[in-house]
Amino acid sequence: MKRVLDARMTRRELLRNSAMFGAATFAVTTLSACGLGKKSSESNKIVIGAFQDNALAPLRDTFFKRFTDETGIKVQYNETNYDSWYQNAKNDGLNKTGAYDIYIMDDNWVPEFAAAGILIDLEAAGLKPNPDLLENGLNQGYWPPKVGPRLKDVANDEPKLYALPIDDDVQMLYYNSDQFSSAPTTWDEIFAAMKDKADPPNMYGWTIRGVKGNPIVQTYLPVLNSYGGAFANDDWTPGFDGAEGVAALERIFSFIPYMPRGIVEFDTDQEIQVLLQGQSLALTEYTGLTQRIDDPESSTVVGKIDCAATPAEEKSGPAIGIFNAGIPPSAPNTDGAIQFLDWFTSDDVQLDFAKTGSAAVTRKALTDPSAISEARWLPAMADAVDNSTPKPRTPDEPKMEDILGTELNKALVDAIGANGKYGGIAQKHLSAAADQMTSYLQQQGGYY
Amino acid sequence: MAGEAISVQGRARVAGRAIATGSPYLLIAPALLFMAAVSVYPLFYGVRASLAEYKYGRELGFQGLDNYRRVLADDVFWQAMYVTLRFVLIAVTLETILGVALAVLLSRDLRFAGLIRTGLIIPMTVAPVVVGIVWRLIYASDVGIVNPLFRVAGLTPPDVLSHGTSAFLGLVAVDVWEWTPLIMLIVLAGLHGLPREPIEGARVDGASELRVFFDHTLPLVRPVLLVAIILRTIDAIGTFDQVFVLTKGGPGTSTQLIAIYGYNTAFRFSQYGQASAMMLLVLIGMSVLLVAAIRTIRGAAKKATGAA
Repeated sequence: MKRVLDARMTRRELLRNSAMFGAATFAVTTLSACGLGKKSSESNKIVIGAFQDNALAPLRDTFFKRFTDETGIKVQYNETNYDSWYQNAKNDGLNKTGAYDIYIMDDNWVPEFAAAGILIDLEAAGLKPNPDLLENGLNQGYWPPKVGPRLKDVANDEPKLYALPIDDDVQMLYYNSDQFSSAPTTWDEIFAAMKDKADPPNMYGWTIRGVKGNPIVQTYLPVLNSYGGAFANDDWTPGFDGAEGVAALERIFSFIPYMPRGIVEFDTDQEIQVLLQGQSLALTEYTGLTQRIDDPESSTVVGKIDCAATPAEEKSGPAIGIFNAGIPPSAPNTDGAIQFLDWFTSDDVQLDFAKTGSAAVTRKALTDPSAISEARWLPAMADAVDNSTPKPRTPDEPKMEDILGTELNKALVDAIGANGKYGGIAQKHLSAAADQMTSYLQQQGGYY
Repeated sequence: MAGEAISVQGRARVAGRAIATGSPYLLIAPALLFMAAVSVYPLFYGVRASLAEYKYGRELGFQGLDNYRRVLADDVFWQAMYVTLRFVLIAVTLETILGVALAVLLSRDLRFAGLIRTGLIIPMTVAPVVVGIVWRLIYASDVGIVNPLFRVAGLTPPDVLSHGTSAFLGLVAVDVWEWTPLIMLIVLAGLHGLPREPIEGARVDGASELRVFFDHTLPLVRPVLLVAIILRTIDAIGTFDQVFVLTKGGPGTSTQLIAIYGYNTAFRFSQYGQASAMMLLVLIGMSVLLVAAIRTIRGAAKKATGAA
């Protein structure tokens, strides 16, 4: 040993040893990259990837275990934040990594993922959708879309089912039943109630998500749809810069004196906190909030928040944002994944899912008296899904949403600063958003 | 026989010389390969991506300079560039002034100087995302502490994140809070290395402290200060985490820095080609800025050496 330690290396030995070390390192890394350490693809296991959301908690905490108990197929559930999971899923699909058997997706991912070929046609793979699935929820899994405008290059294609709904997340009206004798059905009723009962900062009349982008668009859509406007018309022209869109935005502006300070910076957490602390008459939100309204750790008004369809002007028009599950072509266990989707959307499982208060995807589950006795909001969910309006079904929807959401946010800032004199603000910003969106879609091609 | 021996010796000498010449290159080859893998390849890939057309995340092929044309015609890009330059200019200027002032203060024989120095560098050791979360809570109009402080002082609460100008200034304040200590540390190190003679000489001659600072200390420390400013400028152009957590670029586009817009373009709108073109244009702009700055540093260093 001493001899080895004392030995001095000649330059030639140093070079030779370095070369051998380099070659060995290269060989090890290359071989690992080529898949010598290949992942296992057990037939009794499926890997599901998802983003974190309250609405998915019952699925994660209860139903995976039950699936394993009933079928012997283990479920590995990888949950991360929304943006990271979108990228992970897309990269996995594009690169055919095969790390996942099922992607849980927001509904607006389906057009991009399906068009990019990173989801399989579920019916061709042997899945027969439960005929009791709510139609508006099921439609979100088809590409090209069954209803609404289509991109030119898929205008004549037969719609195929690329994703199955697992949670019919949709917007509802949440209202404090201490402040209303029955569910308000129109925006006028809501406005009259806030003029009569709101006393900021002790009790606000309304609260919203005002952050630019997706949050404020979600605030605007149920009002816009109810006034007869649309995010995009059937010919892809913007449907929000006309009289209906302006009236809808000015309706939101009229709530400003009755809303908390700083709504421009409010996202879901701040918005629902106001309601759950008993400081707001009402708001519109997605179904995930039902998991918290009766939780004493989250709410000081347990049992007092009720749900109904979002208010109407011409009609009720909640936005739908369901969670879908799709299978990539590279899934190591496609059969297990199909089996899970079939099992989870079956009548019995959906009934138990509804009993957890979740947005079940079948009509029977949402209208079952035993489920309603445990979750009073289920009929409102079914009603909301039936009345819902989908966002534009195109891979360019995120950019369209960003354009509209940025101008809506600017409009809100201007309206707050205008101290009630907001005439012209809505039209100015909605027209700006419409111009930008038209120009963007023209640049992208395939729309006009 | 003798000739053969000479020839063998000659060959050995040639081989030895070749090894002597080549071995340094062989020895640095692994490091060069590593650098090429982590630095040059991504840059090459970025250039390639900026010239390619993408649809639904898939590369469709070469499309020339179309992505660059689209970026240069995009009003939001120019708006983001304007916001970024304004942010960098204001933040780095404030950080430089405060950093130099703190460094000069701490270079004196203060009691508890070590403790104060440690306290001052804490902000820059905190992860930017955490900094964003903490300041979001401080600024929040509902649970934050800024609005109540203004109320106590009898002023109208500013709702920092609800207005374009206040959100922008709020963002600048966060950056100044976090990164002033970096400039302070670099300048402090520079101050410790300065020759004492010219400064002490000026004091003996009766110059005021202010005069000593502007006429002697600042010119001597200028090369170090410029390095600090360049480092901060490069870093500030790429500011992302704090904005992402605090404002997401809003209200409107008032805090939408180029890094946020680039991220959205690539990862939310799936426009990889345009995002690559955008970032390469920023890189070119930064490189021009860097070359100019390095030339200035060299000039300043020569001047300072001459003056000393």
